[in-house]
Amino acid sequence: MAEIDPGHLEKGGPPRVLIAEDEPFIVESLTFLLERQGYRVESVRDGAIALDRLAAAPPDLLILDTMIPSENGFDVLRRLRQMPHGAGVPVLVLTAKGQDTDRKQMIDLGADDFVTKPFSNQDLIGRVRRLVGGGADAE
Amino acid sequence: MVRVPIGQRIRERRRAAGLAQAELAAEVDISPAYLSLIEHDKRYIGGKLLRRIADALDLDLDYLTADHDSRLVEALMELARALGHEELDADTAAGLVGRYPDWARAFIRMHRSLQDATETALALSERLSRDPELMALSHQMLTQITSVRSFSEILAEHEDLEAAERRRFAGIIASESDALTSSARAVIDTLEHSGDTLRPSSPAREVDDFIIDNRNHFPPIEEAATALRSEISGGRLLSADALAERLAECHGIEVSSATGDAGGEPAARRLCLAEGAPVTTVRFRLAQRLCELEIGPAFDELVATAKFSSAEARLRAKRALARYAAGALLFPYAPFYEAAEDLRYDLDGLGARFGASFEQAAHRLVTLRAPGAEGVPFAFLRTDPAGNISKRFSIPGLRMPEFGGACPRWAIYSALTSPDQVVSQFAAMPDGARFLFIARRVTKVATAHGRPQTVFSVMLGCEAHHADRVVYGDAYASRRDSLIARVGFECRSCRREGCEQRAHPPVFRQALREINVAEAGDADSHAQQQNTSGEAHAANGGD
Repeated sequence: MAEIDPGHLEKGGPPRVLIAEDEPFIVESLTFLLERQGYRVESVRDGAIALDRLAAAPPDLLILDTMIPSENGFDVLRRLRQMPHGAGVPVLVLTAKGQDTDRKQMIDLGADDFVTKPFSNQDLIGRVRRLVGGGADAE
Repeated sequence: MVRVPIGQRIRERRRAAGLAQAELAAEVDISPAYLSLIEHDKRYIGGKLLRRIADALDLDLDYLTADHDSRLVEALMELARALGHEELDADTAAGLVGRYPDWARAFIRMHRSLQDATETALALSERLSRDPELMALSHQMLTQITSVRSFSEILAEHEDLEAAERRRFAGIIASESDALTSSARAVIDTLEHSGDTLRPSSPAREVDDFIIDNRNHFPPIEEAATALRSEISGGRLLSADALAERLAECHGIEVSSATGDAGGEPAARRLCLAEGAPVTTVRFRLAQRLCELEIGPAFDELVATAKFSSAEARLRAKRALARYAAGALLFPYAPFYEAAEDLRYDLDGLGARFGASFEQAAHRLVTLRAPGAEGVPFAFLRTDPAGNISKRFSIPGLRMPEFGGACPRWAIYSALTSPDQVVSQFAAMPDGARFLFIARRVTKVATAHGRPQTVFSVMLGCEAHHADRVVYGDAYASRRDSLIARVGFECRSCRREGCEQRAHPPVFRQALREINVAEAGDADSHAQQQNTSGEAHAANGGD
């Protein structure tokens, strides 16, 4: 598991979360939930764009779906870990229930935690907090 | 072999007949005290006395001889092991079968249903994990469920939502719910069109039970086949030409050959056989068709007496009987039995004498169960190279796999790597019982370039004390320890530790530890094994 960094607020601004997910309604609900918790949220719907964004400005957390177009979740994670600052980015993977093989592969590639669809909002927020610390309005 | 208590059956029947113990005892010429011991299972009886009691009570001897019951006990023990109920021993199983046979059957049926359901679930799971269409659908459904759940929770937990947000989120829930309904329908449609592979295999098992209950011996068919052979050839062995002639003359059926797949379901007036098929196969198919046409009513009568639950099971049973009849017609009982004894069950020798393939000869040996002319009791098993069991027939003490797969150390598997030769094995079983196994790889040749050869391995097994009657037993006459193969039935229930062929962890770890402790203190004791196994059709004829 990645170290929780408690110093976001001191560094300036709330933690930044990048969501790489191609399902618009899931992106919308995640964005709503995370913004309500005080995080800054960006989203991309394609693996190649995710990699560009990760290389340009590593976020404080990546929420990564395994099945996104262009470069899938596995490729995104593999290449993220090869980037100069990529090793330190915590990654929360969204998987489907029953995809145990995917899960194992993601762990091998360096995933920090998982949320299994269909997830509960509270579970997701709890895991985000554990990985990255609280948002601006977080308790 | 475990003895099934039959005392209660005698007592209940006697009471139902309104007979006092003394009256029945007098009728069968024993003392009332002795009858009381029998009725309380303190004395086991057989032979003439059992027959006298059966006659006096107007009971079918089968009801008291407990042959069927021994098989029920075996099946109960197998399911107890499969379920991990090691504490259930054969004596209590025998008690249950003796007193409540219908309950025992119900348990076995229930376990088989569970097994079928599990297999279906596994097949579905396999499909879900490999079928791109189902994978996409399941991913889609999970996504839709995730959206519905997430927005529902947002609506429930965030009371301060603006009216526009509330409307939008409610709208998403409604539209995703509709989409979810469509996805679910698509999954059902896909599964409904997924073919026969997902259907439970109960009809095949019903037919297995039917054959096993009849000990793979059907006197009405033997008689009808004898009469038919006599009519066609005066009792001589039948050639393919004679069979084809009979089909043409009496039934207007033309026999033809075709390249590629053939020999399956012919048109009403045609029998199409694969070009280049071996003569043994040709004769068998001709005989099978002829028997369907001329002995068919006997099949119907036998099938009508059994309580099959579906039309499919009845059809399967008739096909099995047609194959049995073909064997009976081509390899007539009395000469075949005499030759078997004379040649000491040399399958190659029998094949040469009767024009039978190895598998056909092996099948016919299994059916030699006529009272007064009983051959060596053989169990039978057929598997493909992937381990799928397609035919099986158990004998008391040697159950062929039913719920799972067999021990990979059995000769049936080593035969697959030894083409064109019979492989024998003197095998030590879990309870110390020993058996002689005789196996051979059999192939059905490709009939055209590019078509794969069909490969099976066929095995017969008999109790070790019959080995002296069998030519293959000669190699093990010394019974030296080095000649004995330590085998099991299948991995999950096998207690042998250190087996390099183990594929699954044992179910009974506690039992395994106990056995190992016991064995550590007894250097001469042999490792013990237990097993259960896979589903297949009872051995009932072959080509």
